[in-house]
Amino acid sequence: MKLSSPLLLLFTAALTPAAEPAKKDDACCQPLLAAAPFTKNSLYQLDAEFTDDSGQAFTLGTLRGRPVVLAMFFSTCGYACPLLVGDMKRIRASLPPPVRERAAFVLVSFDSARDTPAALAQFRAERSLDAQWTLLHASADSVRELAALLGVKYKQEADGAFSHSNLITILNPAGEIAHQRTGLKDGLAEAAAALAKTAQQ
Amino acid sequence: MIRLRQKFFAARAALALAGVVVAGEIFAETPAGMIAIPAGAYVPLVRTPKDPAQIAVAAFLLDALPITNAGFLAFVTANPKWRRSEVSPLFADSSYLENWTADLEPGPTAPPLAPVVRVSWFAARAYARWTGKRLPTTAEWELAAAAGYTRPDGKNDEALNRDLYAWLARPVPAIQPDVTTAKPDFHGARGLHGLVWEWVDDFNTAMVTGESRADSGLERDLFCGAGSVGAKDTTDYAAFMRLALRSSLKANNTTTALGFRCAQNLPASPKL
Repeated sequence: MKLSSPLLLLFTAALTPAAEPAKKDDACCQPLLAAAPFTKNSLYQLDAEFTDDSGQAFTLGTLRGRPVVLAMFFSTCGYACPLLVGDMKRIRASLPPPVRERAAFVLVSFDSARDTPAALAQFRAERSLDAQWTLLHASADSVRELAALLGVKYKQEADGAFSHSNLITILNPAGEIAHQRTGLKDGLAEAAAALAKTAQQ
Repeated sequence: MIRLRQKFFAARAALALAGVVVAGEIFAETPAGMIAIPAGAYVPLVRTPKDPAQIAVAAFLLDALPITNAGFLAFVTANPKWRRSEVSPLFADSSYLENWTADLEPGPTAPPLAPVVRVSWFAARAYARWTGKRLPTTAEWELAAAAGYTRPDGKNDEALNRDLYAWLARPVPAIQPDVTTAKPDFHGARGLHGLVWEWVDDFNTAMVTGESRADSGLERDLFCGAGSVGAKDTTDYAAFMRLALRSSLKANNTTTALGFRCAQNLPASPKL
């Protein structure tokens, strides 16, 4: 069972060629981002596939370079989610115009069964969310990983609704968490300030 | 000693390949090292009034043993980004595999057959995916762990409860014992109790705030819809310990006594 280190080195060396094609794959699929790898703390390292409300495949890495306001929600939510979206709108309204133009507002649904791209498109229309908003559907697996990264706890109830943490996350242009606003009271000015600050980085 | 163990595993594998009989159905292709857990119901420890009293769990396959250091070494060898020196702090905190000597050398404090500990949920999940499996859900894990040594319902299994509470009372050993030292339960699973704690896939559905004293009233502003939780069976102390642990964890956390095992859906097989 015990392997001596020279043996291990050999083993590693033998594995190296196999690792290279994978790197090439990454580069081929993200031509715009190939310049530099994501930072150690970048959420964009998450290998999760999303679909936007127009039905297009979406990876979080496409948000790189922009300050981001991100929340998880579900479109049939009656209590907290409308407030969360309202708060994101307020954050947006309070931003200095140059930052506001660059920022991305992202909503990711917990509800992989019911929040289909079509349902999200309807939500966009109902809430008059413009092109600066990205509405994302994800598999239950991807939802779980993103929620874990953000520290969002959630649980589907028997009636299909979700209990969930109310959390608005600000990401810097590298995709690192710059600020999180917890709960539904207060904290909007701080979130907007964190966003404006991170946009200057 | 090692040869004996190999014989033991070979015998187990042969048994497993021969098929396992569960609840009257024959699952012809139980993969080596896995056991079939029959369908059942999981009674959540804590639930909201809206939750059902019990959750139906379909039959599934579960690793008979927790993942060992040897198993995890194979994984990090094949997946450099999960090595201790390479891993992103988002996916594993600074004590990830801290008891290993080096990236590819578990060393004396992490014997090959001891359960791997100090692994994060992300790492456990990545390992499971690498083997074509997944982590068990809370309902699945608790259903499997409800078995006693000699019967499917272990609630009143005195021997099991004695071992379990003795384990809870013992400090975490500096070096974990081999997984094979754990006694097999009714289904043939070892170490669900009395070895290490284990990650479950949906650990982040344990809707309790980190500060347990605040849990009597979950803050409505922090958690939408989770305003009222009621405990079901307050006598199951060990289950409360597991709930408390799960709800206190973040997905990148690693601890001295937290490992994992993998699960799999049962292959759809024709009934005989």
